[in-house]
Amino acid sequence: MQGSTSAGQFVFKERAGEPVPSVLYDEHVKLAGKSHMAAFAGYLMPLWYSSIAEEHRAVRQHAGLFDCTHMGVLEVSGPDAGSFLDAVSTNRVQDLKLGRAKYGYILDAAGNVLDDIIVYRRGETNFMVVVNAANESKIRSYLHELQQGRAVVDTQSSPWIAKLPKLKATIRDMRDPSRPSDRRADLALQGPASFDTLGKLTDASGAKRICELKSFAFVQEKLGGIDCLICRTGYTGSNVGVELFVDPQQAPRLWNLILEAGRPLGVLPCGLGSRDSLRIEAGLPLYGHELDGKFNISPFEAGYGWAVKLDKEFFIGQAAMRRVAETYDMEVARIELSAARGVRPIRQDDPLLDEQGECVGWVLSAAKAEDKQVALAYIDRKAAVEGKNLGVYYLARSDSQVEQGRKQAVQKGQKLEADLAGTVASRFAKF
Amino acid sequence: MAVAQGLLYTKDHEWARIEGGTATVGITDYAQEQLGEVVFVELPKVGKEFGAHKEFAVVESSKAASDVFCPVAGKVTEVNTELETTPELVNKDCYGEGWLCKIKITDKGSLANLMDAKKYEEYLKTL
Repeated sequence: MQGSTSAGQFVFKERAGEPVPSVLYDEHVKLAGKSHMAAFAGYLMPLWYSSIAEEHRAVRQHAGLFDCTHMGVLEVSGPDAGSFLDAVSTNRVQDLKLGRAKYGYILDAAGNVLDDIIVYRRGETNFMVVVNAANESKIRSYLHELQQGRAVVDTQSSPWIAKLPKLKATIRDMRDPSRPSDRRADLALQGPASFDTLGKLTDASGAKRICELKSFAFVQEKLGGIDCLICRTGYTGSNVGVELFVDPQQAPRLWNLILEAGRPLGVLPCGLGSRDSLRIEAGLPLYGHELDGKFNISPFEAGYGWAVKLDKEFFIGQAAMRRVAETYDMEVARIELSAARGVRPIRQDDPLLDEQGECVGWVLSAAKAEDKQVALAYIDRKAAVEGKNLGVYYLARSDSQVEQGRKQAVQKGQKLEADLAGTVASRFAKF
Repeated sequence: MAVAQGLLYTKDHEWARIEGGTATVGITDYAQEQLGEVVFVELPKVGKEFGAHKEFAVVESSKAASDVFCPVAGKVTEVNTELETTPELVNKDCYGEGWLCKIKITDKGSLANLMDAKKYEEYLKTL
């Protein structure tokens, strides 16, 4: 693990290694077989069990259980934990009430997104921060270097350059097996039957507390005797759904208890495939696709300007975000297209065309969501108007298509004939 | 992983069923399993000629688009038009209803590079 900074940009090189089996690996192999496991963000994770489409449908109609134990779970504690998190992330952390969570971003001093995070307030001076699996070592290294005074806090002179390393905050890995107690790894149960399923694993008062959870609120409860933090957060766009933070050693037992309790309610185990199709259908960004990535997409372009508090006293990357907020001219849009039988699936990088056939942007992610295809695309803000018709051109999928004259890349402004018609939908969808 | 007896196989996981001078071709159980749910199949035009190991079809799943290589040298005489509306037949019955096309073999020598079921099974074990 090592990080360095130049001109406010934090550069991190991760040591490559063999993927680690998820703590639920044995359960996955029992349910899906080894051939459905794939390396993702350094972990061996399930892609699907029954089928992506079936698991997607289960989450929309009943509920689905996801292994999210690969997600990084950090504890930030100490007298200055709140001020530290306010300085290193874009949303307002110190305003959080106990038992509530907020979505935000960690940026470098140049304004590049290093990760999108959820911060949960567990005490006056105790926070849980959930980071992406693929970014965990980078974020830990970054926060460590900031505390050591080695990473750039501000590219201009600022009192925070001296102040930040002095803040008293301790960062710990909550999944670490050597942690004496309060170890936490993430499972997610998403979909309308989630609360009824969990209700079967607790008593009436526990079930009531779970049902009454507001969005981005959490409680500590026992499920089948297992201590859990139950948070009404998720990555599927489901109105009803929770993330469950549990001791990694207890995760297999909880996994099986939930599947058993949920079986009569239609709950299915769900893999990374449906996790992706569900989040795309809901319009939620994935780091590296709709955030950062090759277009260096900012929170404003991704549709999350509200999670960047420009008027906060200070956060790393604030000056850059002020500039972006004034000047950005591309944004992430959610596009719906046909998925009728015989329609070729659209793919990342396929260009979006306006009614004149002019390229206005590109597909970032796409998935089949029940009877339609949904794309998240990076397009000109002028074209990102709900209800507007946009076409898609299929880039060459094979060498033989290149030989037949199909393009492998298309520039903005280039004119082409569309292969498939689509429509700009609302930026987000709730289910 | 199912390997059907009596067929010939390539290292790229295509199969060929030789009957007279014609080969019915498709992708193997291993290939469909790796691809995941097949959502689109691009088939060649009837009458088109391909050399052995030339790309002749594209099979797309929700994960990826994958080239399919022609196991034998020959001319396409028939394609499985059912796949235009039910591409998932490739997953459900890859050695049967999920066949891709029929090819009139023009170079019998191209069969020499193919494996029989036993050899293909051994090959799968090395992957």
